[in-house]
Amino acid sequence: MEIITLLIDTIVGTLSNIARLALLLVPVIVLIEIARYYKLIEKITGKVKGALQFLTLPQEAAFPLLGGMLFGIVLGSALIIDYSREGILKKRDLLLIGIFLSISHSIVEDTFIFAVFGANPFVLLGTRMLLAVIITRIAASLIDHFAAKQAY
Amino acid sequence: MPTIAEPVKKGLYKSLKLLWLLVKIIVPVSCLVALLDHFGFIESIAGFFTPAMALFGLPGEATIALLFSYFVNYYAALGVITTINLTAQQITVLAVMIGLCHELPVETVVCSYTGLKIPTAAALRITASLGAGLALNQIYILFTGG
Repeated sequence: MEIITLLIDTIVGTLSNIARLALLLVPVIVLIEIARYYKLIEKITGKVKGALQFLTLPQEAAFPLLGGMLFGIVLGSALIIDYSREGILKKRDLLLIGIFLSISHSIVEDTFIFAVFGANPFVLLGTRMLLAVIITRIAASLIDHFAAKQAY
Repeated sequence: MPTIAEPVKKGLYKSLKLLWLLVKIIVPVSCLVALLDHFGFIESIAGFFTPAMALFGLPGEATIALLFSYFVNYYAALGVITTINLTAQQITVLAVMIGLCHELPVETVVCSYTGLKIPTAAALRITASLGAGLALNQIYILFTGG
């Protein structure tokens, strides 16, 4: 009997948490879809030139990088697979995008969900973005260093 | 003539699907954790990891959330978080750790299409997660005294 009450309490508590989340999550997902529909990423790819330069990535990397970062790793990877088939990006660039995205992806949804549960969204976003940029930059240096050494 | 109704409809559909997914994962996980807690399992696991988790300023119970995050996904970790009492600071640290490293069995495979090897991706993310947790806790101690 005690266990049944415990389970009912847990289910009620969890469902009310999810309901609270739903109030905020639904508008956010709808906004994300609208941004996707109006091809917002294509419109801002030109504005991240400086950041790409710092990461030593070409302009073509902007779309998969921003897409994966904002909307999720699956979308990012789908774009990456397309790009690699078409030979738009070099192997090194693809690897760097993979590193960046594995650290920092679908940041809108993730940050949102945890913020609803009480986490500080700025700390969350800041840490993830900062780490992604730093780690990708270090990886770029390492890859180029070893590629130069091989001297093919 | 493109219309805004199309993405709105798609967004509503997607969010309902996501919410249903959340219910399907979070409810069973929190029930499981509540049961394990009831029979004292959580306490023994938590007790064992208490010294390690103290490095992140987190209680031992947070170990369960991290394990669920690394090996299942962050929705499951949320199911655990709803069952433990945490301060805003602790939730932030835990959320950063979970955000950096979750759903390894699926995501490392997805990412491997870029040429990033699966063990490398896993090692990178676990290191980033633990490192960030440590650093963030130190920063909190520095600025707030704990």
